[in-house]
Amino acid sequence: MKVKDLKHLYYFEKLLEEANNELVRQAKNEGGIALGYTCFHMPEVLLNIGKCFSVRLRAPQMGSMEIATYYMSNGSCEYCRALLERAMEGSYKFLDAMAGVDACEAMNRCMENMELLKINDPEKKNFFWTNVDVPYSDDEDCVRHLTEQLRRKILHPLHDKFGVDISESEIRKAVAEHNEVCRLITEIGEFRKIENPVSTGYEFHVLTLATYVCPKYLIIDKLRETLEELKSREPDKKKKFRVKVVMVGSEVDDPDLIKLIEDTGALVVADRFCYGSFPGRQQIVLNDSEDVLTQIVRKNLKETECPRHCALHKIKYRYDRAAQLFEEFHADGIIYEQMKFCTYWSYERTLASHVISEEYEIPTLSIDRPYRSGMSGQLRTRVQAFVESLEIKKIKARQGLKRQGEE
Amino acid sequence: MKYFGGCDVGSTYTKCVILQENGEIVSSVTIRSKINSELSAWAALDQAIAQVAEISKPSDLAYLIGTGYGRNKVPFADENISEISCHAMGVHVTNPNVKAIIDIGGQDVKGISIDKDGTVASFAMNDKCAAGTGRFFEAMANAFEMSIEEFSKLSLSAKNTIPITAQCTVFAESEVITLVGEGKPRDEIAAGIQLAVAKRCFVMAKKAGAKDSITLTGGCAKNEGLKKAIEDVLKIKVIELSIDPQLMGALGAAEFARQKGMDKE
Repeated sequence: MKVKDLKHLYYFEKLLEEANNELVRQAKNEGGIALGYTCFHMPEVLLNIGKCFSVRLRAPQMGSMEIATYYMSNGSCEYCRALLERAMEGSYKFLDAMAGVDACEAMNRCMENMELLKINDPEKKNFFWTNVDVPYSDDEDCVRHLTEQLRRKILHPLHDKFGVDISESEIRKAVAEHNEVCRLITEIGEFRKIENPVSTGYEFHVLTLATYVCPKYLIIDKLRETLEELKSREPDKKKKFRVKVVMVGSEVDDPDLIKLIEDTGALVVADRFCYGSFPGRQQIVLNDSEDVLTQIVRKNLKETECPRHCALHKIKYRYDRAAQLFEEFHADGIIYEQMKFCTYWSYERTLASHVISEEYEIPTLSIDRPYRSGMSGQLRTRVQAFVESLEIKKIKARQGLKRQGEE
Repeated sequence: MKYFGGCDVGSTYTKCVILQENGEIVSSVTIRSKINSELSAWAALDQAIAQVAEISKPSDLAYLIGTGYGRNKVPFADENISEISCHAMGVHVTNPNVKAIIDIGGQDVKGISIDKDGTVASFAMNDKCAAGTGRFFEAMANAFEMSIEEFSKLSLSAKNTIPITAQCTVFAESEVITLVGEGKPRDEIAAGIQLAVAKRCFVMAKKAGAKDSITLTGGCAKNEGLKKAIEDVLKIKVIELSIDPQLMGALGAAEFARQKGMDKE
């Protein structure tokens, strides 16, 4: 018997079809303030205080990127170009402010062009652009610097422009809501650790993506229902997947990429990429002795897995995390992926795919890919060949164990 | 007697191999691919099956595996396997001493290293553009107004090599036309083209872990000028196969089908 579709999967999929989706429109109608952002280095929870809600930008419905390429050159990150293209097509006019970070050169240029080209709605008189300077390491000087940046460039403008209450108690409320979403996503993700998982990587990616692009309070109920549904969901008796893989890499907001990988027989059991659940959907644990903003910033800087952080201990941390996810989720291999022309990940992917396979002895596939790659036959061939090699290794290992038993 | 089939639906050519139980090839076919992968597979299967008296249709095969670009469109296939795994297996059953392959297909170039049991140890793939692929050679042969066969031998008489700097197929074609227009010796231009592709092959082979020898598979394996460029300039020995190198994907698929089909019983 074929496993039943998740009750709300279609609903979640529909939410991903446009940036200004049904729930964003509903929240706006209820007086919500929509704040756009693009990167983990902007602490999402700060954009969800009071009536504010965060929308992490994607570029659904994207066709060609000709105009953005004219402004940014064809050697710049496709994600950034896709956002600029859709911005010029009017996709983000619903936003009330844009919270950028100085994390990578391509995104800086994307934001700069958006601002110069005036892609925001001119009727929104309080609209503001901001760009926060993000340090390259995670020591206490860096924490203090980023804390001050966020206070001046995010919290104060929200208060001054929209009258948002930015008190400790309001931030703590936002953290509580954020943590509930993270708890639900984490619990749903835990199902991928079992021998025959009850959900696919594609389904999980759709759910996780929805939590990044919708107001949290409007999506929590359906996430709860989905978690309950999964607790009693029966997987297919015959396993549909031949191997399990961890995906590690840059920005992925394309469920079709995960579907393509899973169609070749590789179940994606852990998602360590921008827009994935690691590290974006990990709870923020607060104490009562320190101001809440500092605690949020420290966690963000400690847990970032972006290769822009090139201190040796951060590089080692990223390798160890990839290996840890591989162990925890009982994977057979790791796929290192990189958005085409992403500067940081192009270095990281090249090095890590060697280090992880040679020093950590974990089978690794390394791919770079365009922003939209669901139809790529070449990518399918690469992944399928990797799946076949992993499967053969598993068969050989089983045969070896059997032979040992007979002896 | 049971028979096992492998059907390699490539972007340019479709190949089919049928094996009997002892692994011997009883039938093989190579045809130009059609726009529809399924129709290509049907045509190749029909022709291959017609060569075996005891079977009359694809479903008579005990096990059939599809591979290549159109691998999931092969009618009646029991499963599909990537061409990377199939080329490795095809070469392994042809010559178990070969440990590395450069497969030059119609639309990509792959470097593959083979484990001792015929499975893939490692691979690298250039699939970003047509540079260095079968399509590239077709465009170059067109620029010289020659058939592929004629073009593949043209560089053999060259005393010098005129380097081609453009990697893009379209730009390389216009560079070649310019050089021909300037009256440069055609065989030396052709040697430059072969060297450019050989370098690309070298990168793929090294990325996949090749040491000092390789074999060529795919349609371009028959290109004598390319073989010479790889051996003379890049100092990598090219091992000749006893079976048509263009059939390696289909042969590997048929061998996988034989192993799986025999196991099934």
